[in-house]
Amino acid sequence: MTVDIAGIRLKNPVMTASGTFGYGLEFSPYTALDKLGAIIVKGLSLRPRPGNPGPRIVETPCGMLNAIGLQNAGVGTFIKEKLPLLRKIKTPVIANIFGENIADYAEAASMLDSVDGVAGLEVNISCPNVKHGGIVFGTDPNEAHRVVSAVRAATGLPVITKLSPNVTDIRVMVRAVEEAGTDAVSLINTIPGMVIDVEKRRPAIANRIGGLSGPAIRPIAVRMVWEAASVANTPLIGIGGITTARDALEFIMAGAAAVQVGTANFLDPDAAVKVAEGIRDYATKHKTSAAELTGAARR
Amino acid sequence: MQNSEVKIIHNKEVAPGYFLLGLSWTPKRVRPGQFVMLRVSDGLDPLLRRPFGIYRVMPGQRGVELLYQVVGKGTRILAAKRPGESLGVLGPLGNGFPKPGKGKKIIMAAGGMGIVPLYPLINELKDGLLLFGARGKAGTKVIKDFKKLKCRIRIATEDGSAGQAGLVTDLLREEVTPDAVVYACGPPGMLKAVSVIAEQADAPCWVSLERSMACGIGVCLGCAVKTRTHEEEAENRLYKMVCSDGPVFSSGDMDWDAI
Repeated sequence: MTVDIAGIRLKNPVMTASGTFGYGLEFSPYTALDKLGAIIVKGLSLRPRPGNPGPRIVETPCGMLNAIGLQNAGVGTFIKEKLPLLRKIKTPVIANIFGENIADYAEAASMLDSVDGVAGLEVNISCPNVKHGGIVFGTDPNEAHRVVSAVRAATGLPVITKLSPNVTDIRVMVRAVEEAGTDAVSLINTIPGMVIDVEKRRPAIANRIGGLSGPAIRPIAVRMVWEAASVANTPLIGIGGITTARDALEFIMAGAAAVQVGTANFLDPDAAVKVAEGIRDYATKHKTSAAELTGAARR
Repeated sequence: MQNSEVKIIHNKEVAPGYFLLGLSWTPKRVRPGQFVMLRVSDGLDPLLRRPFGIYRVMPGQRGVELLYQVVGKGTRILAAKRPGESLGVLGPLGNGFPKPGKGKKIIMAAGGMGIVPLYPLINELKDGLLLFGARGKAGTKVIKDFKKLKCRIRIATEDGSAGQAGLVTDLLREEVTPDAVVYACGPPGMLKAVSVIAEQADAPCWVSLERSMACGIGVCLGCAVKTRTHEEEAENRLYKMVCSDGPVFSSGDMDWDAI
């Protein structure tokens, strides 16, 4: 079940998606953190961010909409307070980073480069919630190239770039970030959406627009992984509404080398471990491996 | 804290639209004011768990009871569940109410289903005054159970069909004294008013808040409430999470204009 992603050795192909698993430690009462492929922590910025006013979430059919506003305590606090505890877990920890400008991305990357316990970086160029934030980097291939190049130059750590689905042709974005030196590509981030509260006659969340996640978006995500796989030269990590091993296998067969479980962590804190176990069972039953199954539906 | 599949012991309608759900679930310790996240369906719609206040630990530690009102899709599904069926339960979660301190006059102010987290507090303290507010007589039916408790009860209904005509906050204004400690749960407007009344009387006040939440364990950051902390260096602590920092807060810490 072992897979290598961007030079990071994972004991299985299942990671936890950023923003759905806190700093990992919150889940230790409910799941075996050591059984995860990797933990991707909540997005970190150079400086702390308070996040958006509430309401921040609303449930949708087979999904949810969120506009948290990238609330986080900042890279420095993460290094000082969370990382010492995370080092005790025998699972690679990947730090998700974002910034409002290229210099901030580079500085965050460089700070995390110099400490023990971070196996790699995931660069969020796709958060749809913050004005003047990720959306510019995530939807313009030139901007994406610039930010990934800057992170690449600032760190020797493996770099994963997380793509937004909010583009016309995902292949253009994959090529741009690969050219900039990313070691792997994860996709998709949430899809911008809106819910209107018809009693109050206004959008249901304070930010008005939020990111749609959960099973509702899975077919879109699988299609985008499929398209990305047609051009990608680096490993792909599939994300979008995975709640079961079968869901994860769809992404793997579409071309993903690994997957991330996100919203399902809210439904069941043990969901990611169950997905990993289910993939193992499938591989055992069919006498194959996750690596062999990658792209199986394309052949 | 546990994540478990538990059997339903009973799920009976105790008043029109109000259900008492008994779960064969025996957590080690439950503090008054804590809650659980229930998965009402194995399917994907509704997707998220729902928070429910813990109403009572059943006698003989047989299980735990939740009292809920049918208000939407999740509670409609829940109301159709039968004894013997299973539900996913995550909990007990949250901080619960702090102790009142010696010699305090204990006042509990409940608006509608806001009685749920206060019930175990009354049960534990075996003392105090309960102020209960509802729109009309029908809404007071759920407090039958309270009459077994050793506490004084005053009722206010908006239409005057039971107790005193008016709001629960009118009762609070009459009862509150500086040596009182106020515990409150109910709609946001009521809690804001309770907070003002308690502050004016110089009485400490604890409120239990309710918010939509996805995880219940402080990671989705969906149930944020704004606090009065405004200092630059505390900017990242401007919001507190109802699930993991609360659901019980000191009313003075809250930015009531944002709640």
